[in-house]
Amino acid sequence: MIGQLTRNERQGALLILIALAILGLAMAAVGRDDPLGGQGALVMVAALAGLFGVISRYYAPEPGPDRVSRYYDEPSKVGIIIAMGWVVFGLFIGDWVAWLLVDPNLTFHAAWSSFGRIRPVHTTSVIFGFGGNALIATSFYVMQRTSRARLPDQLSPLFVLFGYNLFCVLAVAGYMMGITQSKEYAEPEWYADIWLVVVWITYFVIYLRTLARRKEKHIYVANWYYLAFILVVAVLHIVNNLAVPVSFGHARSYSLFSGVQDAMTEWWYGHNAVAFFLTSGFLGMLYYYLPKVAGRPIFSYRMSIINFWGITFFYMWAGSHHLHYTALPQWVQTLGMTFSLMLLVPSWASAGNALLTLNGAWHKVRDDATLRFMMVAAVFYGLATFEGSFMAIRPVNSLSHYTDWTIGHVHAGALGWVAMITFGSIYASVPWLWKRDGMFSPRLVEVHFWLAVAGTVIYVMAMWNSGIVQGLMWRTYNDSGTLAYSFVDSVVAMHPYYIARAIGGLMFLLGSLVGCYNIWLTIRTAPQVAGRTASEFPDAAPIGAPVLQPGE
Amino acid sequence: MFDHDTLVWVSKSFGLFYLIALSLIVVAYAYWPSNRKTFDRAARAILIDEDKPWE
Amino acid sequence: MFGLHYRLETKAMGLVLAIIGVSSIGGLVEIAPLFTIHQTVEEAPGMRLYTPLEIAGRNIYMREGCYACHSQMIRTLRDEVERYGPYSLAVESKYDHPMLWGSKRTGPDLARIGGKYSDEWHVRHLNNPRDVVPESIMPAYDFLSRTELRKDDLGEHLAALRKVGVPYTDEMIANASSDAYGQAAPDTPYAEGVVKRYGAATNVASFDGKSGELTEMDALVAYLQIVGRLTDAAYKPVASAE
Ligand code: HEC
Repeated sequence: MIGQLTRNERQGALLILIALAILGLAMAAVGRDDPLGGQGALVMVAALAGLFGVISRYYAPEPGPDRVSRYYDEPSKVGIIIAMGWVVFGLFIGDWVAWLLVDPNLTFHAAWSSFGRIRPVHTTSVIFGFGGNALIATSFYVMQRTSRARLPDQLSPLFVLFGYNLFCVLAVAGYMMGITQSKEYAEPEWYADIWLVVVWITYFVIYLRTLARRKEKHIYVANWYYLAFILVVAVLHIVNNLAVPVSFGHARSYSLFSGVQDAMTEWWYGHNAVAFFLTSGFLGMLYYYLPKVAGRPIFSYRMSIINFWGITFFYMWAGSHHLHYTALPQWVQTLGMTFSLMLLVPSWASAGNALLTLNGAWHKVRDDATLRFMMVAAVFYGLATFEGSFMAIRPVNSLSHYTDWTIGHVHAGALGWVAMITFGSIYASVPWLWKRDGMFSPRLVEVHFWLAVAGTVIYVMAMWNSGIVQGLMWRTYNDSGTLAYSFVDSVVAMHPYYIARAIGGLMFLLGSLVGCYNIWLTIRTAPQVAGRTASEFPDAAPIGAPVLQPGE
Repeated sequence: MFDHDTLVWVSKSFGLFYLIALSLIVVAYAYWPSNRKTFDRAARAILIDEDKPWE
Repeated sequence: MFGLHYRLETKAMGLVLAIIGVSSIGGLVEIAPLFTIHQTVEEAPGMRLYTPLEIAGRNIYMREGCYACHSQMIRTLRDEVERYGPYSLAVESKYDHPMLWGSKRTGPDLARIGGKYSDEWHVRHLNNPRDVVPESIMPAYDFLSRTELRKDDLGEHLAALRKVGVPYTDEMIANASSDAYGQAAPDTPYAEGVVKRYGAATNVASFDGKSGELTEMDALVAYLQIVGRLTDAAYKPVASAE
């Protein structure tokens, strides 16, 4: 990795890392009476490890000037590997959290492992750790290919990648130490938030600089989606995290907003994190990898443009559907519901566009689990967006809100759509990036596929059932006109569903372990493709029968 | 600064016009005849050889 | 050459600006009016402030992620009002930085938990929920009783809260640590200070049942007992919030 940097860039890396180490030391010193000190120490250790890495390869040969005639894929490769690490970790914690609801004694009497602390560890690891790294890795890949231009320099993409992961590690370690600002999906505290802003601006600048260097006049639509992801997430992140720290020596801060304003800001953020992190970014992925692997252009390019603006516009209004029947003014609730319903149009048009692209390539969908991952992702995307609009209707929401139905809905999206499209894209990219004929074992891709599908279906079914049962129990009256069930009755009724859910999650986890193993074997042992780049035959080998390609 | 009712009124009315105007612009852009060539080309472009940056 | 390059860049920037423009409108339209909402929302004269001990407890509530299983927002639905109590009003969380409305009820809503149970009940329940409710799946928080509460920096916490708009006085900030101690030490002169500064309705009690050292359990129980009781606005007939 360091070998790819020029001498100047290596010096730049050293400077950045030294500055970071000093920063960590300072945090550890001023925050010694506070959990902030531990976070500072973590920053320092990370920076020192980085320094060690750079120094040990400092005198490695520099890349020649001919590097500009190649794409810079190092960050994408590393990003994919890190993403796979996060997904295994995040799913493991997630499944543990699921078992905690089956048997609360599984915390083993530690503070750090109690439900409330490790639940955000799970969400942050899978959304930001897995999803975020996958987005960064694929966006670098896609942006270069579609612009026909190399990334502007070698250092800044690595800064973005590692800086982002430092944020994730600080966040996750912080929750277990008890640091959180308790805003859902925005739990990290002020110093981590500021750090993320720095990283994110660098990311944005890389994107613009690469686009400015592009040789292809038109900006391919996948980049629009990635760009919207980068931009809007920045805006959301900054506004939602406005806060006043207790002092520079404290991890804790108090949010600028309170009460209703805070609730509306939080769910404006929360819902749009779903929109621009978990939808827009991954649609960018879909619009590149799906046509590529299917070997067919996107069904309607125009539709993808219209959908883009539809999604960018409508989502922003929809956040208030998280606050139906609350103290939020009713007109804001109605607005949120209306736009949530309208969102169905661009969402289904996108899902349809993806599926229609596969028309004529169904034999590939049948034979190639990679493409099938993407197809299933598009189906779940359609399903989850339908369900989302449905649940935003006020009377439906009165039943579904606060119940496990919401959890089921989120996982239909997260497992069915986000994770599936990501696995599909990763299985497509790994052979292209490492210049291999294909994945080491298409059979194992197949195994992963079925574990993932089965796990998702079990999970979602269990949560639909538990959510609806719960919602109904809470509002059931008996003949004398009083509530029929105590709250604890509903807790007891959830037990079997919680077991089923934990099993579904376990299957999904096993699937991703299989994926890691397969990726590792592909990188380690599969033969090099001599003299050709893999991207020339993205759909080369049908399952089980590798076709030998003639050399050039 | 602003009073609540004014803001709510702006939200409720302006939002609607903005929505209509925006959808018209987007549809016009997507279906503008001279854009057709660009879009078709872009859709196919990602499928062709891309093993290295263009000079 | 330069001309071409320049044109390409303006196109990318145009895209950027369009995305920002299109996406920011929705948020602005929805959120901007909420900042003038005090003009229409209920008034709550005499609303109390959280004491330093309650603030510390609230921070523990956040730290332990209680909000991941408990909401603090009773909706305007008949069954919720019958199960939990009067529905929540906007004004009730006006000092909540951040709000803890929550989004999931793995456990029951807590918006009206203050005063529902005795301190001893809470202590027993938090030490091991299954001692009190055998079917419970709530985690045990027994370590709270063993952990001393950090109170030397509570003044700084109140000062930060004042910066974001909670009307703490200089006197409250200066006495934050001793007030935290006093609230859990009924028969000491410090207790009088708390009552003087935060009002006669302040709960002064030896929350965890042990005198002496101030524990995190004291703070959390003190907080739970104030939830929903900063004002009684919700119990009065109110105009619709529309
Ligand atoms: C895993 C989810 C979970 C977490 C985390 C959790 N609880 Fe609970 N809580 C429950 C469940 C389930 C019940 C209902 C059974 C019972 O009373 O124990 C409950 C009940 C309660 C009750 C009694 C409510 C009533 O009206 O009877 C209180 C008070 C409470 N929890 C406080 C807390 C506090 C404080 C925390 C954080 C330190 C917390 N809970 C964390 C699940 C949770």
